[in-house]
Amino acid sequence: MILAYRRAAPWLAVVPVIGMMLFVVAPALNIFKMSLRFESLKILTTQTTRNVVWFTSWQAILSTILVLFVALPIAAITSNFKFVGRRALISLVSVPFILPAVVVGAAFLEILPGSLHRSSLAIIAAHVYFNVGLAVRIISTRWEQIHPYLDDAANTLGASTIRTFLTVTLPLLRTAIISASLLVFIMCFTSYGVVRILGGPARSTIETEIYFRAMQLGDVSGALIMSVLQILVIGALILLVTSTRRSKNRHSKNSQKFGQSVYSRLRNPRSIAQKIFVITIASVSAVAVVAPLVSVATRSILLREKLDTTAWRSVLSDSTIFSSLMTSLRYALITVIISTTIGLLGACAVVYGGSRYKFVSVLTALPVVISAVTLGLGIIITFDVSPIDWRGAWLMMPLAHCLVAIPIVMRVISPVLRDLPSGLRDASRTLGASAWQMWRTIDLRIIRRALVTSAALASAVSLGEFGASSFLVRHNNETLPLTIARLLSRPGDLIQAQAYAIATVLIVACAGIIAVVDRLGTREPGF
Amino acid sequence: MNRKSIRTISLLLVMVTVTVAGCANNTTTSTVPSAQSSDANSATSSTPNEEVTLTLLAYDSFTPSKNIFDAFTRDTGIKVEVALGGDAGELVTKATLTAGNPQGDVLWGVDNTLLSRALEAELFVPYATSNLADLDKTALALVANNEATPVDTGDVCINYDVKWFADRKIPPPLTLRALTSSTYANLLVVPSPIASSPGLAFMLATIAEFGQDGWEEYWKQLRQNGVLIVDGWTEAYYTEFSGSSGKGERPIVVSYGSSPPAEMIYASPVPKTVPTAVAALTCYRQVEFAGILRGTKYLREAQLLIDYLTDVAFQEDLPLTLFVYPVNTKARLPVEFVKYSLRPESPLQLDPQLIASQRIVWLDMFTNIVLR
Repeated sequence: MILAYRRAAPWLAVVPVIGMMLFVVAPALNIFKMSLRFESLKILTTQTTRNVVWFTSWQAILSTILVLFVALPIAAITSNFKFVGRRALISLVSVPFILPAVVVGAAFLEILPGSLHRSSLAIIAAHVYFNVGLAVRIISTRWEQIHPYLDDAANTLGASTIRTFLTVTLPLLRTAIISASLLVFIMCFTSYGVVRILGGPARSTIETEIYFRAMQLGDVSGALIMSVLQILVIGALILLVTSTRRSKNRHSKNSQKFGQSVYSRLRNPRSIAQKIFVITIASVSAVAVVAPLVSVATRSILLREKLDTTAWRSVLSDSTIFSSLMTSLRYALITVIISTTIGLLGACAVVYGGSRYKFVSVLTALPVVISAVTLGLGIIITFDVSPIDWRGAWLMMPLAHCLVAIPIVMRVISPVLRDLPSGLRDASRTLGASAWQMWRTIDLRIIRRALVTSAALASAVSLGEFGASSFLVRHNNETLPLTIARLLSRPGDLIQAQAYAIATVLIVACAGIIAVVDRLGTREPGF
Repeated sequence: MNRKSIRTISLLLVMVTVTVAGCANNTTTSTVPSAQSSDANSATSSTPNEEVTLTLLAYDSFTPSKNIFDAFTRDTGIKVEVALGGDAGELVTKATLTAGNPQGDVLWGVDNTLLSRALEAELFVPYATSNLADLDKTALALVANNEATPVDTGDVCINYDVKWFADRKIPPPLTLRALTSSTYANLLVVPSPIASSPGLAFMLATIAEFGQDGWEEYWKQLRQNGVLIVDGWTEAYYTEFSGSSGKGERPIVVSYGSSPPAEMIYASPVPKTVPTAVAALTCYRQVEFAGILRGTKYLREAQLLIDYLTDVAFQEDLPLTLFVYPVNTKARLPVEFVKYSLRPESPLQLDPQLIASQRIVWLDMFTNIVLR
């Protein structure tokens, strides 16, 4: 790396490091410290804890298995066949992943019959819906890289399609499937919004139990211990993911050069069976993605089975709903500005600074390990002593949104910055450009798309954030997901319709965001 | 939570100055000078001609008459903004988490089941209201040092749909024990004691009735008998209960002794007979309190508001808007309210100290027995 860049690294790292230390590490350490002080460690052995951990685990395992079952056929068609709307299908199945969990919860309340509300089945169904896109993206990325000649060779030797899949494709997909499963498992294990909406008083994951203990029971010590448990479990899982990822990446780098640029796996479906397979899978999955969303929109314009726009009109005229819309927009803007700035600084520090700055990338990934709910709890119990009594400060909520968004921003920007051909910089230096000129004209220009992508994703995070927000919300700064959750818990057709109208607004916003991200064609978010 | 090592603070302080400098428009980080004086009457605060707006934090179902605070504003020049913050339990928790740096000035709606939590967290500045002499003595006895001020009382009781039972010629359930009978299988809906205060009161009623040894068994039987637990009272009463306007499917619900008048007074057209009735032997007495939040900038004004909340005019508004009984003994009750509501002679009760020490344990047991 260029000397001037390397010299800048410590300065670039200052703000991200201090921010993370202050708002993530300090609250997390505080949670550990305080939970050790309580004798209530015995809560770990109680019936309640066993129930919660058991439910959290089995629903996550079952959801993950189902996600794989649904995702594999979709990945099969998107990575093997050319067909109209292939890219659109990939975008479409990714939409649920970026939707606010509260909206997905609301959608499933609407499409599932009343008897299934507040059941494990509803939660698992919503988890599958939520995570299929993530699994499809990870698996198909790898699948597309598998050299088509391997299949041809197997066919020539007389293997059937199924046999080829089982003996050739599946083993090659193994690492991708494992890392997809681990990610999906983490998402389901730490699920919060979906469980809050669909679980009712009976079903609780560790995340909702943290909220329930701290905010409803008033048992902060119990909540802290649950948080510690959660941090340890996710921490271990993330370590697993990164280790499988690392081996996968090494693997894929070789085959990428070998396979992708020259040979494409994508072929037109030839036999009738193939055509039927592609058409069925594509249409079923498209309908399955769209149906719940359409039902949300329909619900918002129906009152007593009749077309009625009262809910929409009241959403626009109701001062509290309007103010939560403005709050959401304001926080999204703050989140975009702060998280892309900090993420950009962090990514530059990591890439320019070399291996000594690896800790910056670990530090900025911490909010993933320490879930949003724990982050909210940690902030509340940490900044409660004057002169930094910030529990009531409105800024804490957008700051929490930033913390959740920063890991994603880092992961969008860093790879682009890292892969920037060094020849460009050398050329500009030879031509006499200053370091600043060089950065502006080369680095910035090349990461501009990644910046837009990360800004779009950061705004999606902020618009949908529910976990940390449910701790940090004050009476005058409710955001849209909180309003939806509040309205959904109240009886009355009109009130429910209002919740669905707001959910529709968020769906449209998220669909727009996905469109922006996919049109720019940068790498998908993830870990 | 209160003791932090000085080193951490100073370290954080350094970081804070650096970070805050970087944060744009950080304007409303309110550092409230905490009210030092606990002696209420000697307190001084802002200058009188400055326009003051008090924030009254209350639970979601706080719905007094629309212009009820106009008289207060006219007399004192102080405006009142009501901020609703979820169910009573959530309200107290949020206030606890921000104790000393409150989101409002006065809090309405801590009941006797939650009071111990509020007092433990030192949420309130004690204040002896000017109406003290007129307030219900048994309610006052719960707050010996005026830590909070009682504002209303009510009874949480089993309500049932009169017509439903009459149509089927089934006798309605009159005791808690009766609810475990197979006659009433799958008919009862209860708000969760975890989030809702009537739910908690009902759970305490069962503990008062069957004792600490017997209540778990009772709930096991209720569960076998198909009790439905929902998140809050509104959902239980207005969505699941068949006797209310929501026309749900279950004819037995946990609600208030004063719910029947609501069905009469606000129904249109007014029904000929009361559609719902109360099982008197199942009632648990609930006393609600208001308190001045420690850390308020407007201590004197908040005290005036407490006086207003316990004054006859406001108290007489309560029966028909919140469906509770006034705590001010001089307040007169509306005729139709007295006619249709039920005031049990000897409601079930539990020692507040016992509630304070056992609440979380009981709720955990409840969750395990009934919900999972």
